[in-house]
Amino acid sequence: MGEPAAQRPMRAGDANVRTLPTGRQRDRDAIGSSIAVRDAVKRYGSFHAVDRISIDIEPGEFITLLGPSGSGKTTLLNLVAGFQSLDSGEILVDGKPVHNVPTHNRGFGMVFQSYALFPNMTVSQNVAFPLRMAGVDRATAERRVAETLEIMRLTEHATKSPSQMSGGQQQRVAIARAIVREPKVVLMDEPLSALDRRLREQIQIEIRDLHRTIGSTILFVTHDQGEALTMSDRIAVLNAGKIVQIGRPLDIYRHPIDRFVASFVGESNLIEAEILQKRGSTLTMKNRAGYVFSAESRDTIDVGRATVLVRPERIAVSNEPSANSTPVSVTSTIFLGEILRIEAQMEGGDPLLIRCTDMADRPLPNVGDRLHVNWGAADCWVLA
Amino acid sequence: MTSASIGVQADRAADLDLVRRLKDPALLLLPALAFLAFIYLLPLIDLIRISVSGPSWTSYFERVFAIPLYWDSLVRTMQISVTVACLCLLFGYPTALLIHRSRGITQALIATAIVLPYFIAILIRTYAWMVLLGRNGPVNKLLVSIGILSEPAQLLFNRGTVLLGMTAVLLPLMVLTIYSSVARLDQSLTRAALASGAGPIAAFWRVLLPLTLPGMGAGFLLVFVAAIGFFITPTLLGGPGDQMFAMHITQQADSVTSEGFLQALGVVLLAITLAVVAVAGRFLGFEFIWGGRKLTEATPTTADRRAADVSRRSVAASAADLIGWPLLRLFGRLPASFGTWTVRLMGGLVIAILILPIIVVMIISFSSASYLTFPPPGFSFRWYEQFFSDSNWMRAFWTSLVVAAMSAGIAIVLGASAALGIVRSSIRGKSTIMLLLVSPIIVPPVVLGLSLYSLFLRFDLVGSVFGLAAAHAIGGLPLVVVIVSASLQGVDTRLEQAAAVHGASSLTVFRLVTLPAIMPGLAAATFFAFLHSFDELVLTLFLSSAELKTLPLMLWGDVNYRLNPVLAVVSTLEVLLVVAGLALARPVLATSRKAT
Repeated sequence: MGEPAAQRPMRAGDANVRTLPTGRQRDRDAIGSSIAVRDAVKRYGSFHAVDRISIDIEPGEFITLLGPSGSGKTTLLNLVAGFQSLDSGEILVDGKPVHNVPTHNRGFGMVFQSYALFPNMTVSQNVAFPLRMAGVDRATAERRVAETLEIMRLTEHATKSPSQMSGGQQQRVAIARAIVREPKVVLMDEPLSALDRRLREQIQIEIRDLHRTIGSTILFVTHDQGEALTMSDRIAVLNAGKIVQIGRPLDIYRHPIDRFVASFVGESNLIEAEILQKRGSTLTMKNRAGYVFSAESRDTIDVGRATVLVRPERIAVSNEPSANSTPVSVTSTIFLGEILRIEAQMEGGDPLLIRCTDMADRPLPNVGDRLHVNWGAADCWVLA
Repeated sequence: MTSASIGVQADRAADLDLVRRLKDPALLLLPALAFLAFIYLLPLIDLIRISVSGPSWTSYFERVFAIPLYWDSLVRTMQISVTVACLCLLFGYPTALLIHRSRGITQALIATAIVLPYFIAILIRTYAWMVLLGRNGPVNKLLVSIGILSEPAQLLFNRGTVLLGMTAVLLPLMVLTIYSSVARLDQSLTRAALASGAGPIAAFWRVLLPLTLPGMGAGFLLVFVAAIGFFITPTLLGGPGDQMFAMHITQQADSVTSEGFLQALGVVLLAITLAVVAVAGRFLGFEFIWGGRKLTEATPTTADRRAADVSRRSVAASAADLIGWPLLRLFGRLPASFGTWTVRLMGGLVIAILILPIIVVMIISFSSASYLTFPPPGFSFRWYEQFFSDSNWMRAFWTSLVVAAMSAGIAIVLGASAALGIVRSSIRGKSTIMLLLVSPIIVPPVVLGLSLYSLFLRFDLVGSVFGLAAAHAIGGLPLVVVIVSASLQGVDTRLEQAAAVHGASSLTVFRLVTLPAIMPGLAAATFFAFLHSFDELVLTLFLSSAELKTLPLMLWGDVNYRLNPVLAVVSTLEVLLVVAGLALARPVLATSRKAT
């Protein structure tokens, strides 16, 4: 990749605190719009692509719609953009309904998965396009285009044709085009999925920093949970046309509402266990292997069986048994560099996934090795 | 390469080399090329030879350009062709957009309304217009009943009907060419324009139009080139003042005295066609002839960039600032439905123009009246009975079936092997060979017929079924080559490799993997080659005899002398044939579109 960023090592504070030229630094609360979706429904025949979704997005918030393909996230974005019309429900921007406003009058910026750069225009013509459409005069438009290209580090590519640029550069042009008009809302439809991993991570950071600078409300769609966790203020997890859970990345990761969210966001061990007793908010539980452990719980459950989420990295591993450990046998070991990913089997046959940091003084466990694992009450999350 | 005289080992190497050479797929091109060389290139070269065989090589051409009759006709032909191409573009673009923007069953219906007429014989579609606009036709009836006319008027045989008829006949070609260019565009480009604040009209003007310009150019030129060689429609719908160039060639064809001069007329028509195609190919790539790639590639023009970077204050830029952009923004304020309704109205008009004549003809075929009148006074099968009991019609019908079946056979065997040769071999000059294989599409049929006539006389093929079938196969071959090579390119070569890796010989691979994959394409190609021959009239006019009459030829005779509902019966049967064929080919077309 001929990325300029690759040739020019990024200094601390280079991209991270990149600011707009003087006079254009704004209070973030002043620029973003609030978006409210109320009971939105979009059907294709009998298929409910969006099934009574409601969501309130704060001004200036970076919100991610996360879900597998077919979950309705892109449809919801298209509804907000105005490419498709609601079957019922409403969408309010800054409290005003927008369903009768055609896309081009909504004043949003948008970044597409396929970049969607106009191949018949140069980079600067592409970026100038929204300004010209907004009626900005040529001189001002040229200045703003130059500033935006500067922010996106594209100045030297201004006269190029999009087809002459790499994917990462094209996507930065697309972002420049989306933000040049200083829109109150920027919509992003899986903008990074066509890029390779390194580039994706780099542009993730650029978009997040950009969000801090411009203060627009950003509605970001992705199926990549890592991307969602990295970038968002809040994540809305969608499945089958409904929002399953909405919350801060940390809450979604630590306290998923159900099995779907638990397994879609991050890697997980979902352990079926029997509740032995409840004391305060702490449950004492026993799984099929006979391992007795305690878990923090929400107050709804007290008897019977429950599914417990234990994240693979929260499991402590040792070669020697201890008082509250249970033995497992290793079925595979994958060396991932900084961490080890161990697949093991508990007594009774339940699989257990473990991620632990590699330690130089310890040999990699072999298939069939016996290890001893344990986890504490705080490492567990009891699902409904 | 190794010489065989060195020794045994060298001998074996030479043998292996020979085997390898015999397996070269490029050899599959030979039958088709030999066929075209004999029946297509040779006559054309002969045509040119005769045209320069006068006292001096220019003498016949001097006569063509000196006689006002021909010169005027040439100018008229150009005027009519340009007008028709402009009309097709104006109405074809919105129709292509209409297909692109509709979904599901609506889209299928609209697409059928365009594609169906495309495959119905020009003669029949022209006949339908004669019925529609005739003295007792529905248009006259309508105008009289609403009081615009006091009595039925002669609407036919003027420049207007020629333009209307030719535009209607050629519109599907334009719509399909533009559609293929529009459909290839990334849908999010329009969305990006809308999201950037461009109204539908600005998005169309700044994004859609520039990007589909090559497709528009291709459509315009294809229609123009086809129109130059038009003969059937202007003959039937035009008056004395609407003589087109190709018509002179057929009129002169019977007189022996015009030998040389006649060929010169043909060469002039051919030269103009080839010149237009050559210029077009230079800019669009010759793929435009068969709807290949390159239709949507557009890069910022140098002029655009200069406007952006260097001469910022140039006149053009200030004009754009003062008028262009404000105008586009103004249009952006139009209700969003404005563009939608423009597209719907114009597209709807086109569909009506394409479908109504066919429907009227189908209704008239069940008329109980003894002459052409609409609406029919009653329902009867009398014209069907007359058709099926008339031995002349039935003989012509069978002749057409036999000729078309033979012709499709020749075209599919030669064309499919040529397609294999061109897709699978690694010979140089593929695009030139492809151009040669496909070029019969663009040669005016009148010129082809004229050139074949002397070849057929020499080999005593005039009036022979096989000769006629072979002549029809000249036009069927390009259809087969284009369709089959498209479906061959759609075959996943990894499947073939997988079969070979697991022990299949190359013949087995072809039988078990390649053939099933291209089978739908082969079937569709056979159908289109059959239809091409079944509909063919112009070559037949030159090459048939009193004993060998095809259905279109019978129709042609009747259309010129007496318009009666038997013709409507034949037309209805042809429409049913095409509908049945398209219904069979529909899954094929759907998959081949996905593959390409």
